[in-house]
Amino acid sequence: MNAALIKALALGAVAGTVAGLFGVGGGVIVVPGLVLWMALSQREASGTSTATIVASSAAAMLAFGIGGSVDWQAAGFILIGSVVGAWGGAWIAERVNERLLAITFAAVLAVAGIRMMI
Amino acid sequence: MLEIIALIALGLFAGAIAASLGLGGGIIFVPALVVLFGFDQHIAQGTSLAVIFPTAIVATVAHARMGNVRWRLAIPIGIAGIFGAVFGAQIALRLDADLLRRMFGIFLTLLAVRMAWRAWRMNGRPETEPEPS
Repeated sequence: MNAALIKALALGAVAGTVAGLFGVGGGVIVVPGLVLWMALSQREASGTSTATIVASSAAAMLAFGIGGSVDWQAAGFILIGSVVGAWGGAWIAERVNERLLAITFAAVLAVAGIRMMI
Repeated sequence: MLEIIALIALGLFAGAIAASLGLGGGIIFVPALVVLFGFDQHIAQGTSLAVIFPTAIVATVAHARMGNVRWRLAIPIGIAGIFGAVFGAQIALRLDADLLRRMFGIFLTLLAVRMAWRAWRMNGRPETEPEPS
């Protein structure tokens, strides 16, 4: 096995574990891993990460689904909204200061995170 | 009915943020479902994954068309990711919902700090002086 393959397997195992443990995609691990550890461009890292999330989210979704921990109906409604929202996001991105948006959103996440810790 | 509208609105908001900031939906769906909708931590996570999966398929098709997917890396990462995801999910499903929620809260807060830090150092001078967080 070559070094790149071993790195890829290690990155996948860590990202998958985080995805399964916390119900997220795992992009928060895969994207920086690909950029910092495997020298991909941000654009290729995003594309490659998205493809890996298809596999890890399917596996984690099935595990939660078998455990009875998926509200399929709620997921369907959220999905309807997010398809439309993704279009809107591209429009917003061109008109809003990304830095300000990122800092504002980080503050919202921090408040949510602290609330969940308590 | 009100909850249906609120769920669609959550999707709208998360989809827009995800597309404009390049974030995955999970870090939005899980806290929103728990804090705003009162979902159990496990159901919030499972439901988040059920939204992420179809979204990732669509996004992958779009990225692949633009030639942004390196399949030789994506395939081994994805395969290892399947094993990791099942392992992580088994741990999550065995944890008490309160403990899992607190762990998620720590994870989310760390991500928020990283995100704020990176945005803070983003190219150029700030147009408006943000408050230190």
